[in-house]
Amino acid sequence: MKWQPLTRGDRRAKEQLLAKMAVAVAATKFWGPSRGLGRAGLLLLRRLGARGVACSHPRRQQQQQFSSLDEKPQFPGASAEFIDKLEFIQPNVISGIPIYRVMDRQGQIINPSEDPELPQKEVLKFYKSMTLLNTMDRILYESQRQGRISFYMTNYGEEGTHVGSAAALDSTDLVFGQYREAGVLMYRDYPLELFMAQCYGNVSDPGKGRQMPVHYGCKERHFVTISSPLATQIPQAARGPGYGIMSIRVDGNDVFAVYNATKEARRRAVAENQPFLIEAMTYRIGHHSTSDDSSAYRSVDEVSYWDKQDHPISRLRHYLLNRGWWDEEQEKAWRKQSRKKVMEAFEQAERKLKPNPNLLFSDVYQEMPTQLRKQQEALARHLQTYGEHYPLDHFEK
Amino acid sequence: EAIQRRQVSHFTFKPDPECQEYGQTQKMNLFQSITSALDNSLAKDPTAVIFGEDVAFGGVFRCTVGLRDKYGKDRVFNTPLCEQGIVGFGIGIAVTGATAIAEIQFADYIFPAFDQIVNEAAKYRYRSGDLFNCGSLTIRSPWGCVGHGALYHSQSPEAFFAHCPGIKVVVPRSPFQAKGLLLSCIEDKNPCIFFEPKILYRAAVEQVPVESYYIPLSQAEVIQEGSDITLVAWGTQVHVIREVASMAQEKLGVSCEVIDLRTIIPWDVDTVCKSVIKTGRLLISHEAPLTGGFASEISSTVQEECFLNLEAPISRVCGYDTPFPHIFEPFYIPDKWKCYDALRKMINY
Repeated sequence: MKWQPLTRGDRRAKEQLLAKMAVAVAATKFWGPSRGLGRAGLLLLRRLGARGVACSHPRRQQQQQFSSLDEKPQFPGASAEFIDKLEFIQPNVISGIPIYRVMDRQGQIINPSEDPELPQKEVLKFYKSMTLLNTMDRILYESQRQGRISFYMTNYGEEGTHVGSAAALDSTDLVFGQYREAGVLMYRDYPLELFMAQCYGNVSDPGKGRQMPVHYGCKERHFVTISSPLATQIPQAARGPGYGIMSIRVDGNDVFAVYNATKEARRRAVAENQPFLIEAMTYRIGHHSTSDDSSAYRSVDEVSYWDKQDHPISRLRHYLLNRGWWDEEQEKAWRKQSRKKVMEAFEQAERKLKPNPNLLFSDVYQEMPTQLRKQQEALARHLQTYGEHYPLDHFEK
Repeated sequence: EAIQRRQVSHFTFKPDPECQEYGQTQKMNLFQSITSALDNSLAKDPTAVIFGEDVAFGGVFRCTVGLRDKYGKDRVFNTPLCEQGIVGFGIGIAVTGATAIAEIQFADYIFPAFDQIVNEAAKYRYRSGDLFNCGSLTIRSPWGCVGHGALYHSQSPEAFFAHCPGIKVVVPRSPFQAKGLLLSCIEDKNPCIFFEPKILYRAAVEQVPVESYYIPLSQAEVIQEGSDITLVAWGTQVHVIREVASMAQEKLGVSCEVIDLRTIIPWDVDTVCKSVIKTGRLLISHEAPLTGGFASEISSTVQEECFLNLEAPISRVCGYDTPFPHIFEPFYIPDKWKCYDALRKMINY
């Protein structure tokens, strides 16, 4: 191996190390091998003396520039300083991350420079998306109560997070929603007919009747099909920095705040090629699902506060009214119209057949395995003999 | 009318005759019998704790109602939404000697905890040379089809765990069985998974002893004796095959021996083989998909042990090899007609 010449840093390091070793050796000689260096240390010292402080290997030489005798921490990946005071970091310091908002609870812009100044048409689209979703929620929740669909989950209170964020994205941006984010699809003009089709699992359902209601998906609108399991590793804003992610906390019930934050995050994510975490604070006003009675674990007063005092739809309505972009007449007319649209879609969806039972077997893989085809054939034969015991009248032939 | 109202149930729950052996009984449904078992456990074992998502207010299926009020917030408490953490935490406290009773809200969500169960809990005793163990861990979880649960509220994942030496997997068919088996799991010195058929939580009602009692693990139960064919199932499916046995008797004059397996692993090979030696025919049925389902293990072992006794190939009537579908559930499940048809073919083999 070719010898590399010592750099000045190397030399100093070597001299300092040797000095320390010398002290240790002296100590050993005085106190005996059980103190100071001991035998191993003496061996090491001899080896060091012969070969210099590990400067024969090029990689070692690089390490030596981060000298072990420098008093900064040398841990790879740590960019901190040492501290000689014993102090624990308090968690609530981190959880006190401030919440960005644009409107107050009465829909007034707080800081005019933060007003996105969206045109009337766009703001009305926000409002109509949220209210149409709300209307659809009411009707479908009720339909479950009547035994018409098996299950439903409402979005009450969270509409602002869906619509504000969807509006700030490009329509082709791929969204991976969880089960309480239908407002994104609503904003992207997903037809009521298809929402209903999925809930009823009828022939028009693009999901082919496979999942429980509210598990929507739409390829054309770049909304990945929802699945029930909740991601358990998503950090909150408080932990975002810990993951090395740029983070912000926003008032999720302020549709403009959500919009602004998402718009900026998207711009920078694309420009800087790094992820951005937006924690949109909101409140789930409805029960978790039709299988839940949330009065078992929270107070009616708490729910009422959010419903009456801090609702994304109300706040936006105040903004619209203040601007003169909406009034009671239009509100009444829109309520009537949206209810009518929902009811029509609902009645039609209910009348349709369910998909052909053959669709039970497809899409497990892209191609159907032989064994599965045999199972499909076995079911077909079974139904020929025992078909009277199955609800075949409700399914497409 | 093309409107599909609530589905008719694919089974009828038949309560077992009241058991006189264990003292005073009370009418309980399945979730109440679970509460009763947990109540008994926490009363007698001061180290016993119950934890999981939403258990504090009583649980999404009411299995833990009243327990936090009775035993305090240090013994009945919620965890974050993190199955890996629920089981990991459970293992940890079990290692210190506490009786850890963890709940996974739906068996469909047990998979984030799979590594903890398979790589940690199951191997704890073995890898430490018996210096340490987490035997006082029990994991309870709602299991099986419920009429509209679809992919993520219907699964029966026992087969995944059957492949893992070191844990026990138990599935009760009724309130009386559930309490006795759960108490045995809690007492058992090995980590246990206890799957509760959620469709039975309210539908199954029986007289159940108020005090503790124990039904042994790894013992199958012959719930009906017969001579022509052995039917094996567990959980809800036991009620399906019971009905199939009646149909077979009535329509075909065939006498069925009906076995509830109860413990999936370690399973009771002797009881099943003894039965097949007598009848010469075996039909196994489960909701979980056919391929790699637990029926394949039973079938394989039985043909090894009882080959010359078999009059017909062993039949498995199971879910299809697909995820559990929503609207197609009536076609997917191994209902009594499919079981009956398979039985008929075996008799005529």
